[in-house]
Amino acid sequence: MIGTPLVRVRGLTKTYGDRVAVDALDLDVRAGEIVGLLGANGAGKTTTVECILGLRRPDSGSVDVLGLDPAVDGDRVRRLVGSQQQESALPDRMRVGEAIALFRGPRAATVDGLLEAFGLADQRRTPFSALSGGQRQRLFLVLAVLNRPRMVVLDELTQGLDPAARRDVWDAIMVLRDAGTTVLLVTHYMDEAEALCDRVVVMRDGRVVDTGTPEQLVLRHAGWATVRFGTPVHESGAAGPHVDRLRRLPGVRSVVDLDGTVEVRGDRGSVAYVCADLVHGTVPHDLTVVMPDLEAAVLALLTSKTPPQRPAPVLITNGALR
Amino acid sequence: MSTSTLPMTDPTAAEVAPRPLLGSVLALVGSELRLVLREPLVLAFVFAFPIVTVLVIAGSFSSDDDGFGGVDPSHWYVASYLAVVVAAIGLVMVPVHLAAYRERGVLRRFAAAGFPRWSFLLAQLAVGLVLTLVASAVLLAVAAPVYGLPAVHDPVRVAAALLLGALAFTTIGLLIGSLVPNARAAQGLGLLAFFPSFLLGGGGPPPAVMSDGMRRVSDLLPLTHVTDAIREPWLGTASGLGHLLVVAVLLGVALLVCARSVRL
Ligand SMILES: Nc1ncnc2c1ncn2[C@@H]1O[C@H](COP(=O)(O)OP(=O)(O)O)[C@@H](O)[C@H]1O
Ligand SMILES: [Mg+2]
Repeated sequence: MIGTPLVRVRGLTKTYGDRVAVDALDLDVRAGEIVGLLGANGAGKTTTVECILGLRRPDSGSVDVLGLDPAVDGDRVRRLVGSQQQESALPDRMRVGEAIALFRGPRAATVDGLLEAFGLADQRRTPFSALSGGQRQRLFLVLAVLNRPRMVVLDELTQGLDPAARRDVWDAIMVLRDAGTTVLLVTHYMDEAEALCDRVVVMRDGRVVDTGTPEQLVLRHAGWATVRFGTPVHESGAAGPHVDRLRRLPGVRSVVDLDGTVEVRGDRGSVAYVCADLVHGTVPHDLTVVMPDLEAAVLALLTSKTPPQRPAPVLITNGALR
Repeated sequence: MSTSTLPMTDPTAAEVAPRPLLGSVLALVGSELRLVLREPLVLAFVFAFPIVTVLVIAGSFSSDDDGFGGVDPSHWYVASYLAVVVAAIGLVMVPVHLAAYRERGVLRRFAAAGFPRWSFLLAQLAVGLVLTLVASAVLLAVAAPVYGLPAVHDPVRVAAALLLGALAFTTIGLLIGSLVPNARAAQGLGLLAFFPSFLLGGGGPPPAVMSDGMRRVSDLLPLTHVTDAIREPWLGTASGLGHLLVVAVLLGVALLVCARSVRL
């Protein structure tokens, strides 16, 4: 079912005063996929989401949500798109059941099933203020899908949660994924995006710097896998036979031996060859393997010295701007 | 789960059918009233404070005190109690409530959930009105056995004054609540507006014992007009129409400013 575009953003630009929050952004969300919108704080993620929901009016560019323009038809868009807004709470004394009763529309899903699926079946009478952080976010998930929207937008759903509560919320999002729900997931946690997203879009200073599956971004930007271990003193030395042999293994890029600690860098496959080779000698007791992950990839993207270039206008020789 | 059968066709009419305005307002009113009843600070300020005021002030004057134009002081103060309720709701409860909802993102949640644009403000007006009526009734029920209530000379005008006064002050409260940056500022500003209004516009000394300066300030206070618009037709000392007109104009202006400047 993945394929039909539900959201299509082209050239979205939004400024606050003279501060450019979103700068010529393109974004697609297709039916059935979980898209992660990643970037540091202030990258423009929330502003993008608010433009998609019709809660903010873009300065320029086009936004299409299920054939509707949110700036014109915001009310309809918000009926089709369930959302969890960043930093938006419920009244402290409102109970879970009351919140659901207030927010449910005529097309609402059966509440019992939802509360069961998101682990809130016993919390119906609990006031919002007495819910744990994880329970609050799961309640927001229930409210986001309550009226059977075409897709849901979740902005920093796990911000400020402890690791265990974050895992609970991830499980809840996997419930959505298994149900085929389309999700735009805004986060600045890379492990979250790696665990949940089919595709990620990385933003920096209001622009998209790269997009692809987590695996693709890892391949492109995360650098090499590293195998590190100590060698017995008598075997060390930069030109030792040990080092030479490792250097010739498939996929290995570099081998350095620094005061008895050998560091082998290479592609992911090289790790298998290096470890297989180590089995033939004394197996080192301090072996560490660092695989490239999305965190490393995005960190590289977000900290690279050259900021993302805006595509320059193409000049034709006679000077006319194409 | 029902989310598994997402259709891929264009949005259907049922999917984008708007939340009806009236239904949304009613749902919000019900929800808000339930929440108010769980809010001890609001209950104390809107229900208990005016009652304490009544018991203390109306009992402080002897019934032949001549500062009240021949009226028994405990009767003269009945309109003041009701005005205190109106001011407590409009100047303190509503602004703090609205500012807190905006600060905590509750309003954004309503907007994102497709509640019609004015449904929350309309619901607040209705809640302000209901609370005014309930708190007034409770207050009169407490005052009646203690001091006795004077006969109502012109019930229609008294009711009109209470209704318009409650709406006007709730609207002013919504204005304050939407203009201040946060709930603490709303509380500060609200109390700053409440106490002078309370002391000079209803619950304080009668005009006869005020200095010229105090009386001039008193005449300018919106709450004074609400108090007089209730008192005069209740006691039959005058029609109160002039004051009622001032309150009506105040409501009109407040509504207009509210509609133009309040964002959700
Ligand atoms: N209402 C606002 N007024 C002024 N500046 C804003 C406003 N909202 C966001 N910004 C600024 O716009 C930039 C992008 O913010 P935001 O979209 O919230 O980013 P993110 O969600 O990625 O953290 C930031 O520099 C932020 O300070
Ligand atoms: Mg944000």
